[in-house]
Amino acid sequence: MNWRLAALKNGFKDYTAYRVEFLMEILGNAIVPAAIQWVLWYAIFKTDGATELAGMTYVQMLHYTLVSVLFNQVRGGDQDFELAEMIRTGQLSNYLIRPVGLIQFIYIRGVASKLLISALSLAIGIVLSVSVLSSEASPLRMIGAMLLALLGNVIHFQIGAVLSAMAFRWEDAYGLLMVKNMAVSILSGELLPLNLFPESMSWIWKSTPFYLYVFGPAQYALGEWTHLEFVRQLGVAFLWIFVLWVLIRFTWGLGIKKYVSLGG
Amino acid sequence: MIEVRNVSRSFRSTKKAPGFAGAMQLLFKPEIQTHFALKDVSFNVEPGSFVGLIGANGAGKTTLLKILSGLIPPTEGSTRVLGYNPFERPLDFRRKIALVMGQKAQLWWDLPANDAFDLLHAIYDIPDKLYRERVQILSELLDVKQHLQTQIRRLSLGERMKMELIGAILHWPSVIFLDEPTIGLDVMAAAKLREFLKVFNQREKSTIILTSHNMDDIERLCSRVLILRAGELIYDGKPAGLLREGERRLKVRFSLVPDLEELSRITRLPLNQISVAMSERAEDPDLAPETGGVYFTLKQDQIVPVLQILMQHGTIIDMGIEEQSLESVIQRVFEGGIKP
Repeated sequence: MNWRLAALKNGFKDYTAYRVEFLMEILGNAIVPAAIQWVLWYAIFKTDGATELAGMTYVQMLHYTLVSVLFNQVRGGDQDFELAEMIRTGQLSNYLIRPVGLIQFIYIRGVASKLLISALSLAIGIVLSVSVLSSEASPLRMIGAMLLALLGNVIHFQIGAVLSAMAFRWEDAYGLLMVKNMAVSILSGELLPLNLFPESMSWIWKSTPFYLYVFGPAQYALGEWTHLEFVRQLGVAFLWIFVLWVLIRFTWGLGIKKYVSLGG
Repeated sequence: MIEVRNVSRSFRSTKKAPGFAGAMQLLFKPEIQTHFALKDVSFNVEPGSFVGLIGANGAGKTTLLKILSGLIPPTEGSTRVLGYNPFERPLDFRRKIALVMGQKAQLWWDLPANDAFDLLHAIYDIPDKLYRERVQILSELLDVKQHLQTQIRRLSLGERMKMELIGAILHWPSVIFLDEPTIGLDVMAAAKLREFLKVFNQREKSTIILTSHNMDDIERLCSRVLILRAGELIYDGKPAGLLREGERRLKVRFSLVPDLEELSRITRLPLNQISVAMSERAEDPDLAPETGGVYFTLKQDQIVPVLQILMQHGTIIDMGIEEQSLESVIQRVFEGGIKP
């Protein structure tokens, strides 16, 4: 068996070793952002009596909440924290001596559970697209949106890998990764649709790739983006992946020279 | 096979003074200190050798293994392992080596050993039949076959260590670096592991470099010993070479704590042949000097004359003659009491 496939299988077994923990993570990732959004929309539309917000109605907001929950499940995990911790404690040595690409190996093992979740989310999304969502939504759009969300997962890990390389120099990159995660929460569209940003400030989220994680896939799935726009955004995602791949090679190439492999 | 030429390695770290002021200093003006872990170390290892690397804590043993396995580069000097520069870590090099660190788990904590071995099977591209045979042979040899389906974290330390070893050598490496593999193992488990390493080295002609604080490991397995003291290689030779033929240790306990220089003067023995006996009480973790106890390293024919002189100069409570053991010799080498 190819080592990548074996790593995927192994990662999946690892993540599902504790079934309750695995399910709680899925539920937590779904319930928390959905609850925040629902409370907010209810307050604005039902309590305050608004009919539209940033061009979106109450129903459209709820549709956004539904699909954003699906794509949020696919958003990258915490493998970047794992990488930084391995550098800090010296556990990285266990992987450096293996004849595999270290970053690739960690990513593949970590993404295993996300692939299963993305398949489940896609199935739910397809059902939603033909039952609950507006007429612009379709199973084809849902598949495309899920593809974009998966590319977002790759980008999320790559950014984390670049930032975790700071642990070679600073010994710990936890704070940096936490700041990145906070920025992701706001700028990915996980908590709020990004069109709530004032037009003058939209450059902020447009200049990061975070919108490709949740907001972008949701826009395409809900029919807000044309097919052409979707293809353009796929190009943007691949460009980010390439740039970040170069950055990983550079930062890790430099960092590994400073690695001291702490611990006996 | 393994060439080490004038290798030195230093580490930089920040120094933290105690208390709040120390924390503030660390935050705004950290004081950097440099520590030399290895100093100008050179040696060669032939294929199929079983070499023991020993030294006190902090002597540089693990650092040397990390350099040889390609985890860190030397600050100065050069190394070649199997013809490769280890720090370049080419894939072929990584396929041919194994590193086992007794204090660092390499297998995945929440998975059973079998799952970890399956992944290693794919990583090292081991043919299926060979892989199954090896798992069977190794798990039977190390007596852990019944635990292959058990989560690693649920195994005892000894069982875990054996699984680590199986995982490390499943790909039949040409060079194996073992860093304290018997640490924490009971006598039976350590003996089993030693026996296994001996057989593996003899049958497969793998080159093994072993660090251990357990002199039993060294005596029973290694045909050659490298001793490091404060980063310097101070001995390179056979273990037996450390035991000087015909030498005995005379242990004398005086009623009054004697002065070593005074003892050297009256017995006309050099100071490096006289040392304070350390307490051997198991409950004494710091190995405190034994009250009034002194060791004299002597030739057989020196024992009686030295005893006569000592009896004329002080009150002797107790005395005895001990054989030289490798452990005691190495202990004195670590302490700087004797030069090998």
